[in-house]
Amino acid sequence: MRTLDRTGWALIAPVHVLMLAVITIPSVYVLWLSLHSSTFGSGLEWVGLDNFREVLSDPYFWRAARNTVLVVNAIVYVEVLLAIGIAVLFMGGLRYPKLMFAIVLMPYAITEVVAVLTWKTLLNPGTGFISRAIEDMGFGLINWSISPPLALGVSALISIWYHLPFTFLLIYAGMVSIPRTVYEAARVDGATAWQQFWRITLPLLVPAILITLIFRLVFAFRLFTEVWLLTFGGPARLTEVVAIYLYQGAFRYGRFGEAAATGWLMVVGSLLIAAIYLWFMHRQMRGARP
Amino acid sequence: MTEVLRSAAMPRSTVRRKARWQRQAGRIFVAAIRQVFFLLLIVWSLVPILFIVISSFKRQTEIFAYPPSLFFEPTLQHYISLWTSWDAFFPTMINSAIISVSATALTCVICLMSGFVYSRYSSAFLGLSAVYLIAIRLLPPIVITLPLFPVVNALGLSDTHMVLVLLYTAFWVSICTMIMKTFIDEIPRSIDEAAAVDGASTLQLLWRVVAPMALQGLAACAIFVFVFSWNEYLFALIFTTTDAKTTPLIIAEVMDTPAGTNWGVLFAGVTIQLIPSTLLVVLTQRYLIAGLTAGSVKG
Repeated sequence: MRTLDRTGWALIAPVHVLMLAVITIPSVYVLWLSLHSSTFGSGLEWVGLDNFREVLSDPYFWRAARNTVLVVNAIVYVEVLLAIGIAVLFMGGLRYPKLMFAIVLMPYAITEVVAVLTWKTLLNPGTGFISRAIEDMGFGLINWSISPPLALGVSALISIWYHLPFTFLLIYAGMVSIPRTVYEAARVDGATAWQQFWRITLPLLVPAILITLIFRLVFAFRLFTEVWLLTFGGPARLTEVVAIYLYQGAFRYGRFGEAAATGWLMVVGSLLIAAIYLWFMHRQMRGARP
Repeated sequence: MTEVLRSAAMPRSTVRRKARWQRQAGRIFVAAIRQVFFLLLIVWSLVPILFIVISSFKRQTEIFAYPPSLFFEPTLQHYISLWTSWDAFFPTMINSAIISVSATALTCVICLMSGFVYSRYSSAFLGLSAVYLIAIRLLPPIVITLPLFPVVNALGLSDTHMVLVLLYTAFWVSICTMIMKTFIDEIPRSIDEAAAVDGASTLQLLWRVVAPMALQGLAACAIFVFVFSWNEYLFALIFTTTDAKTTPLIIAEVMDTPAGTNWGVLFAGVTIQLIPSTLLVVLTQRYLIAGLTAGSVKG
C-alpha cells in the first residue's frame, strides 16, 4: 500500500472536485435556501423554519407524501417478490441463458419516457390493446385517466416493469453466490426442492434482499417521470408524488424556499424509510436465529 | 400402514414401475410449469417493446386496430415521414449522442484514475471519503436542481451540452469509482512492483498496465453511464430548452399532444431511439452483470 502522495491526490482530484461542485455544495446550499424566502428575481430573506412549517401544513404536500409512500412500497415489494421468483426460475437452468437474460434486461435499456409511452398506448382507455382486452373479458372500462388510484396503480406498474431487470440482477447475483455444496448436502439428506428454497435459499438470500430493498426504496422515492408523464400530477393535483410537488413548487410557482424545504424533507424521508426497514429487518433476522 | 399392505399385495415390479412413473410425471409437470413461467416472462418483458416497434411498420389505420393484426404488409412510410417532416427529431438524436458519449468517456477516465487510487493507496482520508462517495449517491437528484438552476443560468451554461455532461458524470463517478476499485483490486500488486522496477512512473503504470487489464470494469462503467445518459429525462427537462434538447424530451413532448399526434411517426422515432441502448445492453450483458455485482458488493 502506498501513502497518498501528490500523484495520488491529483488522480482523485477530478472525482472530488466534480462531486463537490455539482452535488455536495449544492445540497448544502439547499439546506441554507430552505431557511430563506426566495423566488425568481428577489433577494433572500431569512425566515427560519417557516418554509418547513409552510410545507408541513400544506394538504397537497401530505397527499403527495401519502401517494409516494403507498406507491413506493407497492413497487418495491412487488419487484423484490417477482425478482426472487425469476431468479429461482433462472437458477433451475434454462436452454438459452444469454437470450433469456437479454430479453429480461430489455426494459432496462429503454428510456422511462418510452416505457410510459408504451404502457400509456397499451392501456389507453377505449383504444389501447390491453385495456380493450380487459374490457372484452368483462371487467369494464379501466379509465385511469379520471381515477387517481388507478392512475397511481398504472404508474406503479410502469415503474415495476422498468426497474425489475435491475432488481432481478441484484437478487440473482445474491442467489448465484450461495455455495453449491450447501444444496448438495441438503439433497443427500433428502430435502425436497421446496424445503431447499425455504430452508437454504431464502435465509441465505437475506443480505442480498436487504441490500436490494434499501437500494430500491431509496431510488424509488425519487419517483417522478412515470407519474409526471402519465398524469402531470393531475387531475387536480390528486396524483402528485413528492418529487412532482417539489418540481411544481420550484419551477411552476417559483417558491424556491419551500421547494428546498421539500427537498430536505425528501432526503430525510427516504433515509428514514431505509433506516426503519433496516432496523426492522435486522431485528427479525436476529429473532429468527435459534 | 395401508401403503405397506397395498404394496405387499402387488408384485414388486409393478410398484417400482408405478413409483418411477409418478416421479417422471412430476418432473414433466414441473418442467411444463417452468416453461409457462418463462413464456410469461418473455411476454411481460418483450411484448410492450415489440408492440411499439411492430406498430412503427404498420399503416396509420392499422396501428390501433383491435384485435391487433400480426400479419400485415410492412411499410416504411413512417420512417420516411420521420426523415422528411419531423425536423426537430434528428438534431435531438445528435445531441443525445454527443452528451452520452462525452459523459461516458469523461466518467471512464476519471474513474480509472480514482479507482486506481482507492485500490492501491491507503490513508484515513480515502477510507472516510469512500463512505462519503456512497452516501452522497442516496441524495435524490431533483434536490440539487434547485440551487444549480440559477447558477447554470448565470454561467450561461443553460441549454448547452456541457451542463448535462457534467451532471451525468457527477452522478456516476461515485459508483463507478467503487466499481473500478473492485476490478483493479483483482489485478495482482506484483505487476505494480514489476513496472516500478522497470522504471515506469505511476502514470505510465496506470495507462499502460492497469487500464488494459481493467477493461472489463471500464466496460461496465461505460454501459451504466451511456444507458443512463441516453435515456435520462428529468435533468434534460430542467436544464435544456432547444439547442441541447435530448431525444427523450422530444418524444415526451410529442406524446402529450394527443389530438395531433402522428403515432406512426412517433413510434418510428422511438424505435430508432431505443436501438443503440438496447443493442449495447444485449451485447454486453456480461459486463453489466459483472459491474453490478462489483458495485453492489461494495455499495
